Amino acid sequence: MNGIKYKILFLFFITQYLFAQISPGDLSNAHKNLEGMSNCTQCHVLGDNVDNKKCLDCHTEVNELIKSNHGFHSSSDVKGKECSECHGEHFGRDFDVIRFDEDKFDHSKTKFELTGKHSETKCEECHKTEFIKIKKLKERKKTFLGLETSCVSCHSDFHQGTLSSDNCVDCHNTEAWRPAPNFLHNNSKFKLVGAHKKVDCEKCHKKEIRNNEEFQKFTGLKFSNCVSCHTDIHKGKFGTNCAECHTNISFKNVKNLKSFDHSKTRFQLIGKHKALTCNECHTKGIRVKLHFENCVDCHSDFHKGELASDEGTTDCKACHDEHGFAPSKFTIEEHNKNNFKLTGGHFAVPCNECHFVDENWKFKFSKTDCETCHDNVHKETLKFGTAVVEDCETCHTTTAWSSVSFEHSKTEFELIGKHADVSCSKCHFKDEKLPHQFVSLTQNCESCHTDNHNGQFEEKYKNNCSDCHSPIEWAIETFDHSTTRFTIDGAHENVNCNECHKEIEIDVNKFVQYKFEDVSCKSCHT
Amino acid sequence: MGKKLHSFLIIFASLIIISTTLILFYFGWDYYSLPLKERFFHPNHDLLKSSGLLGHGLGIVGTILMVFGVTIYIVRKRVKKFQRLGKLKYWLEFHIFLTLLGPIMVLFHTAFRFGGIVSISFWSMVAVVLSGIIGRFIYLQIPRSIEGNELSHDEMNKLNIELKIKLKEKYQLESELISSLDENSINKMDEIKSSAIVKTIFIDVMETRRKISAINKYLHKNNIPRKERKEILKISKSKLLLSRKILLLKTTQKLFGYWHVFHLPFAIIMLVIMVVHVGVAVTFGYKWIF
Repeated sequence: MNGIKYKILFLFFITQYLFAQISPGDLSNAHKNLEGMSNCTQCHVLGDNVDNKKCLDCHTEVNELIKSNHGFHSSSDVKGKECSECHGEHFGRDFDVIRFDEDKFDHSKTKFELTGKHSETKCEECHKTEFIKIKKLKERKKTFLGLETSCVSCHSDFHQGTLSSDNCVDCHNTEAWRPAPNFLHNNSKFKLVGAHKKVDCEKCHKKEIRNNEEFQKFTGLKFSNCVSCHTDIHKGKFGTNCAECHTNISFKNVKNLKSFDHSKTRFQLIGKHKALTCNECHTKGIRVKLHFENCVDCHSDFHKGELASDEGTTDCKACHDEHGFAPSKFTIEEHNKNNFKLTGGHFAVPCNECHFVDENWKFKFSKTDCETCHDNVHKETLKFGTAVVEDCETCHTTTAWSSVSFEHSKTEFELIGKHADVSCSKCHFKDEKLPHQFVSLTQNCESCHTDNHNGQFEEKYKNNCSDCHSPIEWAIETFDHSTTRFTIDGAHENVNCNECHKEIEIDVNKFVQYKFEDVSCKSCHT
Repeated sequence: MGKKLHSFLIIFASLIIISTTLILFYFGWDYYSLPLKERFFHPNHDLLKSSGLLGHGLGIVGTILMVFGVTIYIVRKRVKKFQRLGKLKYWLEFHIFLTLLGPIMVLFHTAFRFGGIVSISFWSMVAVVLSGIIGRFIYLQIPRSIEGNELSHDEMNKLNIELKIKLKEKYQLESELISSLDENSINKMDEIKSSAIVKTIFIDVMETRRKISAINKYLHKNNIPRKERKEILKISKSKLLLSRKILLLKTTQKLFGYWHVFHLPFAIIMLVIMVVHVGVAVTFGYKWIF
């Protein structure tokens, strides 16, 4: 009996050991906690293999997906199948309970079809712990569960909450995240027209760093008028209604030019400028900025730089204004501010008399002396630059050319007596056909006066008329006859001169005879 | 059973075993050669896995063959009622056939996974098969009657003398040549150690070949007709083989005694665990096609 007892005990022991060893192989790592005889029925149903219900009792996350008709496990590929058909067990610790060809997996069966960039993305780029929210799943080394289908479950919200994160697909698709292909700007409050269509998004929707991340502003942008985005190069001069002049094709494309108020610019249209068409000044188009500081920025310099300042600038305004280049507004007063003041007869002289030289206008003269304009009629007859005659103005003034005032006493021939009353021309312009005589005149009386004495005094009295005459009175009032060979005395003192000195005619020349060869009485008295 | 029919059946049975093995290997090698963790993903996994249609079937059929093969042999051998039913030799051969084919099928049922409790059963089965092969070898070393019953020592000596007389009288073989068949390098008086049995057999086989070769030369030299020569050589071989068996008898008898102790317990262990294995499989719902 003892033998039987021990055999029964041995069998009981053996049986216990054997039951511990009935597992057909080690469970995978994921299920290793279910190792052991006591755990068989955690998965297996006695008499009925492995039951899906048992699997799903543990794998509640899969169960939830099936119930909610989400995920691959709710697809027709899986429905009606046993879990164990795809997920084997008892193949060792390192067995992959979940294994499939990731490259060939039809992701559309998960009800999240991979399109566009998603189809090029590696599984592990999405199926990773950081995108899983369920803590239980997060702890798993590798799982394809736990992802949500919303974009932000994997993608960071680039818009940082400024746009609705529920409607990413309203703007984006899987082909390209940016630029947002589904976004229609015309559905927004600001419709893109004209050149706006070609503008890079970033031009208006500026990028910035917000919360230490790249951020692009799509909301809260002001667009009520152009200057919300565009810089007003006119600095407010033309108001804020840019559309009055500009179109949305281009800022450079300006409209309503005829009604453009040029007075709002820095260049007022005055005078003749008003009548011009735009392109007469804006020859290269309205968008090319014009210089207008100087008239020559537009106009050619008629004076060819003659009137330019030392710095090279030309200030036309000194003489001209917008009402016409001619007549010049350069007045006599202005002229008189120059070195050459207009006086006397110059007042009446038209400008061109002086300034139109050799068929050209000339306004700058190197010299302002009279000879610049006037002919020197005296030529060699006068020596200029001397103490007697310095220049023309020594004798002439601008009042009248003929009005000469000369201080004759500066010469060696002072005008005394009758000479002071004689007009200049009596001595200096004896004949209109002859040149004036100044320096060529000698001081001899016969230079001007005719010798009425028919040469009677030539030998003795040549150039010495003053022996008898004086400039005070040509007639001889007091002649000392005693200085002659014939002294007057006696009755002779009562005799008139002409009774002795009678007019005679020799060779057609009539003259009074003062010189006698014979001064004896008989020469007069009979 | 005629000798030809017997030979045919032996060859046929051998072909069944070999072809079964080859076919299963050929068909399943791609699957069986995979690492364990890869097999699940093989297209034939559902068919060839231990619980698959073929794999499970092999297990069940193999088990039935083994159980049947063991049972009928035991019954024929132990149950008096059947002890006269056919030659024991044939039953043994049939037993060997079934218990070789069965384990091969079970081997493929395991899909070459040798873990857990059932591996004990498997390895026990392997032990039983191997021990069966060894047992068959030992069995052949013990001279038996045509019925397969063990001969006594005296019966063997008598048979040996009969063979000698036959050679001497019928074929007029020289006495010297006949006595050379009795010469042996091994001391007949010493019991051969169990551990030395293989070595002894090897030496004796070489000796037998040398002796047979010498007789053959002699027969050729004396122009003995071919048919007669063949008969003389056959008797000589039988004589030499019998001499070896007589020489090894004590040792082989001793080994065979040990073998019984070895072969049967492993068979029992295999059976017990197999029952547990089947019980567990059925309990967990693995019922094959049923």
